[in-house]
Amino acid sequence: MHEVAVAGGILDAVRTETAARRPARPVKVGVRIGEMAGIDPESLAFCFEVLVKGSDLEPLELAIERGAADELEFVYLELEQP
Amino acid sequence: MNRVAMEGKVLNENERAAAELRADFARHGVFVVNLIGSPGSGKTALLERTLESYDSSRRVAVLTGDIQTDADAARLGRYGFPVRQITTAGACHLDARMVRRALEGWDLAGIDVLFIENVGNLVCPTSYDLGEAHKIVLLSVTEGEEKPLKYPGIFFKADLMALTKIDLLPYVPFQLEVAEANARSVHPDIEIIRVSSTLKTGLDGWLEWIDHRAAAIPAR
Repeated sequence: MHEVAVAGGILDAVRTETAARRPARPVKVGVRIGEMAGIDPESLAFCFEVLVKGSDLEPLELAIERGAADELEFVYLELEQP
Repeated sequence: MNRVAMEGKVLNENERAAAELRADFARHGVFVVNLIGSPGSGKTALLERTLESYDSSRRVAVLTGDIQTDADAARLGRYGFPVRQITTAGACHLDARMVRRALEGWDLAGIDVLFIENVGNLVCPTSYDLGEAHKIVLLSVTEGEEKPLKYPGIFFKADLMALTKIDLLPYVPFQLEVAEANARSVHPDIEIIRVSSTLKTGLDGWLEWIDHRAAAIPAR
């Protein structure tokens, strides 16, 4: 249920991270989620897709890696130069 | 295409707010626990028995979270201690900013123990640090002993599991030992107490757990 809020947090962080790197556009963001983080990766992926659609970040992709314990961290951001 | 490393926690905003709260709690010597459990697991009832047992000189306060209504604040407000309701208007968990807002106007220096009763939910509140010293998970015997395996996150993060409603054990197929073994398989060091808020059994162990840890916090 809170995956919507988490997805929104990812988008905000991507915007912040990208602002300093203009005019590059973000294409993919990688996050690491542990099994004890209380986040359902499928649900997060779905929420992320819904929030990205029609936003300034479309077609940003989300890549989820399995992390240790309760990890819920950013890993990388892929950018494309125009 | 180039890939840049991105650091930090996904819930960075909450982490920041929680760190500020934790620093404030430490500065004022406030011991804070975050109670998490399913709807109907007995969070409010346990807090009622807790407040009822304290004499009026105790410096305790309660924040109680729900999606709608201030029913819990009304229940908990009868005991003469400061209680505030946080109504999340749809959100399935409390976050650090809601706690910060709810604390506005309270003098933290006048509080020794703060109980935060989270929104009834075994999943979402797990991810949100509220600046507490300990997360405590409640599991009632009407819920089934496999819950620690199905919802491992909260049992992993909680320092204490309170098995509640043990007065109902004769009527339900719940096996305490199985539930405890399941919790320990997720979190070997989790402490466990068994309580009934209705019959007031096991409350001494609960109150001692709180007092013992609260006493370890340097008073300011």
